[in-house]
Amino acid sequence: MSAVLVTGATQPLGRAVVEGLRDRGRRVLAVGIDPDGDFPGDVVYESVDLSRARSLKRLMFGPAVDLGVDTIVHLAFHRTPGHPRAHKLHVDATRLLLRMSERHPTIRRFVHRSTVEVYAARLDRPDVLREDNPLELSPKAPAWIRERVEADLTACTRMGMGDLDIAVLRCSEIFAPKMGSQLHDYLSSQLCFRPMGFDPILNLLTVEDAANAFVLAAESDATGVFNIPGKDTMPLIWLTRKWGRDSVGVPGPMLGPLYSARRWLRRTRFRYDLNAWRFHFNGVLDGTRAREELGYVPEHGIEWPRLDSGGAGD
Amino acid sequence: MTRGPRLPRLTGNGHLSRLLLPKRLHPVAERVKLKDEGHGIDLFGLDRAGITRGLAVSWWLYEHYFRVESHGIEHVPSDGAAVLAANHSGTLPLDAMMLAHDLMRNRQRPVRIAMDYFVPGLPWINLLFTRAGGFSGTRGNFHALLDAGELVLAFPEGTVGIGKPFSQRYQLQTWRQGHVELAIEHQVPVVPIAVIGAEEQWPQIARIDGLESLGIPYLPIPATPMPLPVKYHLYYGEPIDIPSMFDASQVHDAAAVAEGAEMVRNAVERLIEHGLSERQGVFS
Repeated sequence: MSAVLVTGATQPLGRAVVEGLRDRGRRVLAVGIDPDGDFPGDVVYESVDLSRARSLKRLMFGPAVDLGVDTIVHLAFHRTPGHPRAHKLHVDATRLLLRMSERHPTIRRFVHRSTVEVYAARLDRPDVLREDNPLELSPKAPAWIRERVEADLTACTRMGMGDLDIAVLRCSEIFAPKMGSQLHDYLSSQLCFRPMGFDPILNLLTVEDAANAFVLAAESDATGVFNIPGKDTMPLIWLTRKWGRDSVGVPGPMLGPLYSARRWLRRTRFRYDLNAWRFHFNGVLDGTRAREELGYVPEHGIEWPRLDSGGAGD
Repeated sequence: MTRGPRLPRLTGNGHLSRLLLPKRLHPVAERVKLKDEGHGIDLFGLDRAGITRGLAVSWWLYEHYFRVESHGIEHVPSDGAAVLAANHSGTLPLDAMMLAHDLMRNRQRPVRIAMDYFVPGLPWINLLFTRAGGFSGTRGNFHALLDAGELVLAFPEGTVGIGKPFSQRYQLQTWRQGHVELAIEHQVPVVPIAVIGAEEQWPQIARIDGLESLGIPYLPIPATPMPLPVKYHLYYGEPIDIPSMFDASQVHDAAAVAEGAEMVRNAVERLIEHGLSERQGVFS
């Protein structure tokens, strides 16, 4: 029986994907950086630093061959923007994994995790983003976003170049703790600042729905790029209120320094420069292609906190 | 969840709008069809509170200031996607506001108004428009809205139309073709519309150009501090049955698109001529 290799398996999304694949009777080779994966007995866990080519080669041509891995679900993701290891993990590891998969004796399919952030931020951008929307290639874009675009393009440029089937899943923001969610970090403060006079529409994805999308993609033969939206679509102000926070409008140019100071003083991870565009303009993924070709439909809404007073924004 | 003291809520939720809107118009706001994405709002930001706010802002202008008369609204499909194409003028887009009000009131449909790219970048103004049905006029947005079966209003004259000099009133300016291209691609009808009255509402005496750095194409200098209380007449023409005239594959045929755009332009011109011949005067 063939198996699926899941990278980033010790992160919440990875665990959910491993669980979903097990439920479908697939054998799983879970890969993470932690020494111990703490998975059920039928899951083979390997602790591997994906940014090291030698470790990766040992994994790919060792346990992956032994278990007959035919599909890779590449979810590994560094949660901290600007971390020196992030580029290696996002771009270099993706390139190496793809290169090794192409000449691997058993691997036939590669599913890559990408994100809504890869779409170009410019005024002629539509509010509803399809897969053919231009990507963010501006030299002014933050390095964190350029890395995500580079990783996405690394996977896309390999499509149709060999026998490997490649699917790239561009996910809405997965709104959960320990997922590198900038919005989750943004809402960690009781008082949230936003650009005055703007209230953009956001779409949020749950770990459950994201995991379902990756399991469906691993099981499918469909190739290409797929947008993965979540079930919850709402304005930024409603989101803050539903999460029990207060939001205050501040002139746009003040937000960068304000959040830089807050990050420095309170050690928060939220970076305004990564979110400036979407805090002004709408950007919701169109999931038609994923629905039609993968059978993906978002089903799980965000679990909102029960507030002791006041109501949600709507 | 335990949490600290709340700040006083400064964002609106429709209560003020409901107070400003006469009770007899509350059912209008409630009947308008809205594609709810689960939290009472659609993908572009249209919500019930925005519809109510839009009606509250426009009803007095519609009924008392511009005394709008609507003709032929039955030509607008009661369901399904369609492109509406109208002449554009008036320094500020009050013609779009009156059309939106008319369609909500008499057709129970929100009209999605294509806005120039600079509008979503204007603080507060972007919210006023998008929450009441406006959208950034990008091709991708047009596709998404027509796919969703919405009524999309385009002003093929664009910003040139709204800023046209008084001496060129009711003369259609450069007529763009994008609306017909979309209608052919999506196989939907185009409803021609003539707005009579708006072209005299607020004559411009000058304009200041070169303000792109401030996010606006130009600043109009109107002759009067307020729009004149002209009488509006909205004429909806018979739908141009694009699907029976053009195949979807003809979207790449420049001659076919130009022919379709000319048909729409001629239909709007005929409606304008008819409207001007019917009216008693600018203010009556």
